[in-house]
Amino acid sequence: MVFFALVGKLFLKLFVSLGKIILFIFLSFKYIFYPRFYFYLNIKYFLRILFSSIPIVALTAIFSGMVLALQSYTGFSRFAAETAIPKIVVITLTRELGPVLAGLMVAGRVGGAIAAEIATMRVTEQIDALKTLNTNFYNYLVTPKIITLVVAMPILVTFADIIGVYGGYLIGTLRLGFNETVYITNSIDFLSFNDYFSGIIKSIFFGLIISLMSCYNGLYTSNGSFGVGSATTNAVVSSSILILIFNYLLTELFF
Amino acid sequence: MEIQINNLNKSFDGKKVLKGIDLNLKPNMSNIILGKSGCGKSVLIKLIYKLIKQDSGIITYNSKEEVDINKFAMLFQYGALFDSLKVWENIAFQFINEKLKPISQLKEEVLDIMFNLGLDSENIDKYPSELSGGMKKRVALGRALFKKPDVIFLDEPTTGLDPLNGELINDLIVKVIKEKKITAITITHDIKSALKTGDQFYYLEDGIIEVSEKCENLLKTQNSKLNSFLKGQV
Ligand SMILES: Nc1ncnc2c1ncn2[C@@H]1O[C@H](COP(=O)(O)OP(=O)(O)OP(=O)(O)O)[C@@H](O)[C@H]1O
Ligand SMILES: [Mg+2]
Repeated sequence: MVFFALVGKLFLKLFVSLGKIILFIFLSFKYIFYPRFYFYLNIKYFLRILFSSIPIVALTAIFSGMVLALQSYTGFSRFAAETAIPKIVVITLTRELGPVLAGLMVAGRVGGAIAAEIATMRVTEQIDALKTLNTNFYNYLVTPKIITLVVAMPILVTFADIIGVYGGYLIGTLRLGFNETVYITNSIDFLSFNDYFSGIIKSIFFGLIISLMSCYNGLYTSNGSFGVGSATTNAVVSSSILILIFNYLLTELFF
Repeated sequence: MEIQINNLNKSFDGKKVLKGIDLNLKPNMSNIILGKSGCGKSVLIKLIYKLIKQDSGIITYNSKEEVDINKFAMLFQYGALFDSLKVWENIAFQFINEKLKPISQLKEEVLDIMFNLGLDSENIDKYPSELSGGMKKRVALGRALFKKPDVIFLDEPTTGLDPLNGELINDLIVKVIKEKKITAITITHDIKSALKTGDQFYYLEDGIIEVSEKCENLLKTQNSKLNSFLKGQV
């Protein structure tokens, strides 16, 4: 009996959270189109996201591009297919690694910060204060983050693609003895617009996931400063997992 | 605005905080809420402000259940200033967003109100983290007054202030209530301030309103619970 009560309670809790998330997402989208709009906040967040994420995205991208070139060399040299290396590097980066790595990095860097900011505002009653000052929480805090992340992610992913391919190029030409022009033409000729485009579509989804999950976890926090910590962790973990799941689903469905 | 409360109940995680509050807040007067720490005073005013929802019970505003909460303003117990904004941006927050007045005029008005609150004008561009606790409280009071509300909710306006500044704030509150003919609902632990600024008081204990009286009768009370509360205080 105790067991069934426990399972029942657990399911009830799950459904309540699911309902809360769905309502939250619905309201977030609704207020993208309902005034009041805070355009200056979009610009402010946009710059902050770019400046805080570009260094870590660049670092992860360049090393991933480099290791990708090295590893594919190990594999392809076994059947004398080294010429495929530039193609493998560019296609893996644009289709998979660029969006996923940038997504995970931004989830950690930006998503964590958003969740901490909103959670702190919740526990110090600043969210209530917004309401008393005739300011809608979604308009002021959520939609600017959705809009800026959805715009910034494709930019960051494009940047990650370029830096990653450059990393592969460095290893290819300096360590593996590729001719520079051959490497570049090999990369570019093989790349189709669809490869790049599929990564960009993914990045837009990832931007949505990060902004929604971090705002949601920040809003539904409690327990003072302890709550702020767990809101941050939950935001980063849940967006990272969702990014990986959606990455698979999107690849399976569309590309 | 006349605010009537009927059989209001609220619990958190199964713990009953308010157990059937009946209250009739007098319009255009200073209403004081007294009670021990943790008895639910802050919860009560947040319910009246519609910041949280009651489990059961009815609150009416001029006999209607609907109300435009933009006519209200609140000084939160811990200030609730926006960390990322400067003092003047906090005080004028709503008006900056609503863009109804030019920034230069808003700044003038902010300086006026800061003067009345005993805040130096040099603090105007500081961030909340650079202020003392008492200064934060006064900035938060400034933000609430800046709206020129019909009903103002004050959660411990003088807690954390030195006697001199406490007195200044009390005088300011009395002045605003009397001049602007607004309804004030003030939570305080400060009996002196209650006597000075209040018209009517309500004593909250064990989730119900135990005493509801004119402030001038506060110290003459016959209620034993209120008496022991006051003895601990005065
Ligand atoms: N959001 C919340 N979640 C859970 N419990 C809460 C919440 N808000 C208030 N409580 C509980 O309700 C009770 C009353 O809290 P409230 O803040 O109203 O006290 P108070 O009378 O204002 O006390 P103080 O004078 O110390 O400010 C407390 O036991 C508190 O733990
Ligand atoms: Mg309180």
